[in-house]
Amino acid sequence: MSSTVSAIQRSALGFVLVLVIFGTLPLVVSSYQMSIANEILIFALLAMSIDVLAGYAGRTSLGHGALFGISTYVVIYWTSVYGGSAWVGCLLGVVVATLVAAIFAAFAVRVSGVYFLLLTLALGMIVWGVCLRWTSITGGENGIRGVGRPDLIASPTAFYYATLAVVLLMTFLIWRFVRSPFGLTLRGIRDSESRMRSLGYGTSAHMFVAFTVTGFFAGVAGALYALFNNFVSPSTVQLSQSVEGLLMAIIGGIGTLFGSFIGAAAIIMLENFVSAYTARWQMVLGVMFIVTMIFAPQGILGTLRMLLIRKR
Amino acid sequence: MDRRQFLKTTGLTVAASAAGTFAAPQILRAAEPIRIGLMAPLSGVVAAGGREIVEGFNMYWEERGKKAAGRAVEVIVEDDAGNPDTALQKARRLVEQAKVDFLFGNLLANTGLAVASYVKGNGVPYFIPVIAADDLTQRNRIKNVIRVAGYTASQMPRPLADWALKQGYKRIATISQDYTFGHEQCAGFAQVFTEGGGQIVAQLWNPLNTADFSPYIGQLGDLKIDAVFAMELGADASRFMKQYSDFGLKGRIPLLGAQNFTDQSVIRTLGEECDGIISSAHFAEGSDNPETQKFVKAYSAKYGKMPSLYGFSHYSGAMWVDQVIEQLKGDISNRDVFIDAVLKSQLTNSPLGRPVRFDDYGNPIYDVYIRKVVKNKDGKYWNVPIETYPAVSQFWTYKPEDYLKNPPFSRDNQGIKK
Amino acid sequence: MSDASALVLENIVVAFGALKAVDNVSIAVRSGERHAIIGPNGAGKTTLFNAITGVTPPTAGRVVFQGQDITRRSVQGRARMGISRTFQITNLFPSLTVDENMQLAVRGNGDGKFSMFGAAELNAGQAERASAALSISRLDTRGAVIVSELSYGEQRQLEMAMALVAQPKLLLLDEPAAGLSPAERIIVAEIIRSLSHDLTMVLIEHDMELVLNLVERVTCLNNGQMLAEGTPNEIRSNQLVQDVYLGKAR
Repeated sequence: MSSTVSAIQRSALGFVLVLVIFGTLPLVVSSYQMSIANEILIFALLAMSIDVLAGYAGRTSLGHGALFGISTYVVIYWTSVYGGSAWVGCLLGVVVATLVAAIFAAFAVRVSGVYFLLLTLALGMIVWGVCLRWTSITGGENGIRGVGRPDLIASPTAFYYATLAVVLLMTFLIWRFVRSPFGLTLRGIRDSESRMRSLGYGTSAHMFVAFTVTGFFAGVAGALYALFNNFVSPSTVQLSQSVEGLLMAIIGGIGTLFGSFIGAAAIIMLENFVSAYTARWQMVLGVMFIVTMIFAPQGILGTLRMLLIRKR
Repeated sequence: MDRRQFLKTTGLTVAASAAGTFAAPQILRAAEPIRIGLMAPLSGVVAAGGREIVEGFNMYWEERGKKAAGRAVEVIVEDDAGNPDTALQKARRLVEQAKVDFLFGNLLANTGLAVASYVKGNGVPYFIPVIAADDLTQRNRIKNVIRVAGYTASQMPRPLADWALKQGYKRIATISQDYTFGHEQCAGFAQVFTEGGGQIVAQLWNPLNTADFSPYIGQLGDLKIDAVFAMELGADASRFMKQYSDFGLKGRIPLLGAQNFTDQSVIRTLGEECDGIISSAHFAEGSDNPETQKFVKAYSAKYGKMPSLYGFSHYSGAMWVDQVIEQLKGDISNRDVFIDAVLKSQLTNSPLGRPVRFDDYGNPIYDVYIRKVVKNKDGKYWNVPIETYPAVSQFWTYKPEDYLKNPPFSRDNQGIKK
Repeated sequence: MSDASALVLENIVVAFGALKAVDNVSIAVRSGERHAIIGPNGAGKTTLFNAITGVTPPTAGRVVFQGQDITRRSVQGRARMGISRTFQITNLFPSLTVDENMQLAVRGNGDGKFSMFGAAELNAGQAERASAALSISRLDTRGAVIVSELSYGEQRQLEMAMALVAQPKLLLLDEPAAGLSPAERIIVAEIIRSLSHDLTMVLIEHDMELVLNLVERVTCLNNGQMLAEGTPNEIRSNQLVQDVYLGKAR
């Protein structure tokens, strides 16, 4: 049981680090850098939702960017076109993302491996196509402009702390989720689906629930993004959104949860700070990804964890 | 921006936010440089056009010795990657970290709309010489978003439709890339053409990056039409012209195009296949106007190619804003005063060779040329005016109030008179 | 069908295209009986197991378990009725610990597998069952070890423990001693022998000597067809069996 205790200690350390680092940032950085940190938090949540499937259930999804974006669309549409309240909009966004995730899940539970990847990719492309073509609702590739945040979280600092609170809460829920009996069944399905079935598990039902739940978390991230960006267009649901979320999870370390914060920070900071020096920043990103794959295939946090365990 | 400068601006930013926003004393203003944030797609599918945006913009400031009304001008270039979310991120960086006085640029409508929604909230002036989305100067106007030397998508094809009617064309089919910029340009054409008694026989929509146009060209060939109106951009435009010629339609069915269809950025690499295509635009690099020719010569000497619409627009846009800064004697600290001054101003001495002013909605009114692609004396293809429609506004001959009551154009709403 | 029959296979056919891997096999296993299925490689033994557990539903014929026709029931549905199996090729959760493997095995037939925010640990009753199964399988001290770090023999023992902890009514063992050293085989045989006689068991085994001392009845398959059925002694002395199986094996 000693390993369980130290795992809990590690996770507690993760929470404390996230809280301290992100909690004190606004005191020391400019408003722009705070907005970058805000974005990092939102994308870390998206990356975590992908990590639950990739790292625990062994299913690499390329559809979660679309689920994220659906929530963003719903929030922006609800507030700016329909004129509804942002709070209700966020609720609706998350609900719709979760429902669409359930529809995705109904298809995706039937497959695994590269077929799962391709199927989620195709489902995501359908969402993108709909957002692009259904011009009367989505505004086509011009997108929809938002109406700004509610007064309570209108200031960047207030919104930043609101995001931090929500993301921490979601992180805690995800953490509980992957450590629950249900979370264990996902790791079982990853290792051997046939054994799970012969033990009496309806693996499809488990994958369905897991996919839908991760869709919920992606939806929460998407709703936050709507409030943050105040704008939505098909690029928010496009494939590169899913790929970026996946890269963040991979660079941070698949199956580590907290690695998503590191991965999101690495990629978003690279995009924003390196691009100030060179237009070839995408190449830098590519090189960084390759280097990670070769020298730290378990990601930054995964490798650190391995080194620590080895030392002991 | 080099590393030291980055550290310096970061330091300044931190210091400024610590000291509070009201701390900057007015006296220091004149000595401080004017910082301009220029965004353009420098990576991604429209990167070629993005580079010409930067070229045109820099060329103007270099000619002016990088000064406006005695103040140094510092241009900070950011890559928007042709992605609205990236554009938004970069706009935030330019405004909140680099502390630019105003924003400029972007190429794709969706990137421009994203930045527009951002500056709507904070009032930073944003100048868009290329972003043509109709509603930015129509139904969803934002006062601090201004089309200096820019235009509205549906504005330019209207004179061409009128010209087509005068040629006796009765039946026309349109083909266009399937996105808003294409929908709006086709609608401008279709509306005027059908209201004048013409018939839009078919409207074909191809996805962006169509490798093979043969199915579309096959359909066009069977339609018994008097002309084709094409709205394609970039590589799609080159491919379409090439295949239109390969399939033998060239010379059989006259080809009309949106301004970007025969833009210099497209035809500079083409041969015979672009010869004789008719389009309409406010700028024509083949115009015999001396101001235009002066600009074309200077641009060609500097960059080894004739200017495209992107280069021209950003050169002229920079000039327009510079003239207003001169008029305000370098003091643009009051944004409302600055914006009002821009909206009331006239662009003079531009490569167009004629003064340009805004309508009441912040969109320029231009003399629009009907242009024909011909070979110049150097053997290169360029657009030469064959007719001029004076003072064309984004509302054509309609009353703005009436016009704005109609829903915006889309793929399904092409303004066609039944 | 008599009340005493726990498992009845009626004219089972499993065909893959033109190939009949199992061809018209009928077996009745009494409640509490230990039944072995033997035969050379490719005789259709594992395919027959897959038909019983639902991995490969039969092309024709019926599978009846405790009086219920389960021919079309899902794998997990059969498992929940009390059919437990081990795999010929070790099929565990290699990246999880022994304890976690057992947790999954315990919950498979019970409650709590959809508990999303509860603790991962087993409740007292479940924990007791798990440790009992581990100790029968002689893995009591290995709970915290990651399965991929167990020896092969230990992995086979864990296969047994996981099948047992579900408290099955029918235990299907697919070559439990495959690939083990003679010493390890003895351990497996002892584990099997120590199991309660209330448990109905069907055992596939390649090793005649091991199996004939463990069971009451034997069915011998060859090329998917039934060759012979009887007590171990009858099978030992059966000429057909000796020809196709023993003759070749020795």
